[in-house]
Amino acid sequence: MAAIDTSLAPPTTDANLRRRRLATHLGIFLALMLTWETAARLGWTNPLFMPQPSQILNSFWVIFVGTGNVWRHLYVTLTEVFAGFIAGSVLGVGLAIIVGLNPLVRRFLQPYVIVLEATPRIAVAPLIIAALGFGFQSKIAIVMLVCFFAPFVNTLAGMLSVNRDGIELFRSIGASKWQTFRKLMLPEALPTVMAGLRLAMASALSGALVAEFISANEGMMVLIDRYTGSLNMPSAFASLLTLTALGFLIFKGMELLDEFIVFWRHESRLAAASRKRARAWEAAR
Amino acid sequence: MTSSDRILHVVLRALPHLAIFTAVILLWELAVTRAWVDPFLIPPPSRVSASFLRLYVTEGTIWWHLFVTMLEAVIGFLIGASAGIALAVASSVHEGFRRYVSPYAVVLNVTPGLALTPLVIAWFGFDWGSKIALAAIICFFPIFVNTLAGLTRRDADREELFASLGAGPADLFWKLRVPAALPLAFAGLKIGMTTALIGAVVAEFAQATEGVGILLQRYSFVLDMATAVAVLLTMSLMGLTLYTLMEILDDRLVFWRRDAGLARASEHRRRAWVRDGHVPNEGTAVLNTNATGGHKT
Repeated sequence: MAAIDTSLAPPTTDANLRRRRLATHLGIFLALMLTWETAARLGWTNPLFMPQPSQILNSFWVIFVGTGNVWRHLYVTLTEVFAGFIAGSVLGVGLAIIVGLNPLVRRFLQPYVIVLEATPRIAVAPLIIAALGFGFQSKIAIVMLVCFFAPFVNTLAGMLSVNRDGIELFRSIGASKWQTFRKLMLPEALPTVMAGLRLAMASALSGALVAEFISANEGMMVLIDRYTGSLNMPSAFASLLTLTALGFLIFKGMELLDEFIVFWRHESRLAAASRKRARAWEAAR
Repeated sequence: MTSSDRILHVVLRALPHLAIFTAVILLWELAVTRAWVDPFLIPPPSRVSASFLRLYVTEGTIWWHLFVTMLEAVIGFLIGASAGIALAVASSVHEGFRRYVSPYAVVLNVTPGLALTPLVIAWFGFDWGSKIALAAIICFFPIFVNTLAGLTRRDADREELFASLGAGPADLFWKLRVPAALPLAFAGLKIGMTTALIGAVVAEFAQATEGVGILLQRYSFVLDMATAVAVLLTMSLMGLTLYTLMEILDDRLVFWRRDAGLARASEHRRRAWVRDGHVPNEGTAVLNTNATGGHKT
């Protein structure tokens, strides 16, 4: 599984230029919205399929404040996402560590991992719902399954890519197996593990949504499905955009976590960490 | 090593894998027949293989569904990939375009694409169209981002070499940027291919009359778990097939990553050069004396 580079445009440092660019961005966005709005008002687009921005904004107000019905569904979906993610990734990373430390197990497990990798994971959803029922557990189980593979595969890959020379060195200075794991393999594997966790988190939301879609009475996907079913398109769009915001928050959250855990891969965090250590040394002496 | 030796070697290597596989299957069968696990929830391998036989041979119901889903996924992939590659090329050529398009691409990326399913069905109807559209939408982003990342990767030395040889923008693009972008672009295409399959299957879960997605849902809703598992394994097979096809294409197009491929390609080019009379044939002779020189002395 290849990591995806999501940095699309390099940031600039010039404040003036940045302000000007931001203004252009806003201008383009507003122009787009205005065109959309006028097109809908003039009847060029079918409002049933493409609701106009003003209606979507109005629906935002309705579902968040007016009736406030979105909160309950948001809560349900988030619970499924986080419970499933934590269970799945802990299982994935844990199992990969056990497997990664044992070359024999590794060799014989590989074909199965490849087959599981190729299976569209979300496709297991109907089976799990049939097995575990229509309730909460089946959704968490689906998210768990979806979140299991990326951390598992990446942790395994990370453990396998540990430098041979490093292991040689650790052995020659008489490090124990635990020390080799803790001080060599873990730090070397962590960036890959984190990449796996980020992938898992990204798919966790989709997993929960698909599970809800197949069968549920609450959750964001149920909400969207209901609004679409009753052709209340503005509200469906507002719910969808809520998911966009949620996806963005999750993405940013995982990025922060990445900076915190794999701090040596980020310049500023590395500098902060080494300053802290330097101070601790000074204090100790 | 003779060929019979090689076959023996392969068999010997495969033997433990086969043994473990058989043991796992036997244990599973035993667990179900002894009722250690609920046979209703986890069907025994014997019943799964019976379902396979029924789906593929005696009733042959799966072929049409298989074909439909494959077609949906592949057409969706082609549309999503064309859009992704086109936008990536446009973004790499024009910096302003990239800057003002990228925020929307990011928004599209953080939106869980599968959440669009009900809307896509409302837009494109209950037929194949909605499945193709969902597959195209969700496979777009990985392809776009990876192609763009590949195209914008700059190697100063190579750029300078191209400039010093007087290469125009077209040469620079086709002979430097595109080949340099291919490995990353293919990584994106491979991810996109499996994502497109997921898109098609999920759209079928929602609303469909044909396709493996609806087949899986039907069998699990009537609690025929053995057949449902057989359909699921079919999906794995489809995923594997599509992925392998992309891998082969990758191997063909990005031949220089593999030593054997590189050697074959350069041999091919050398022959073409000699044939066209660019190089006198002594070139080979010189090479040959060099290669055999060691034996003479």
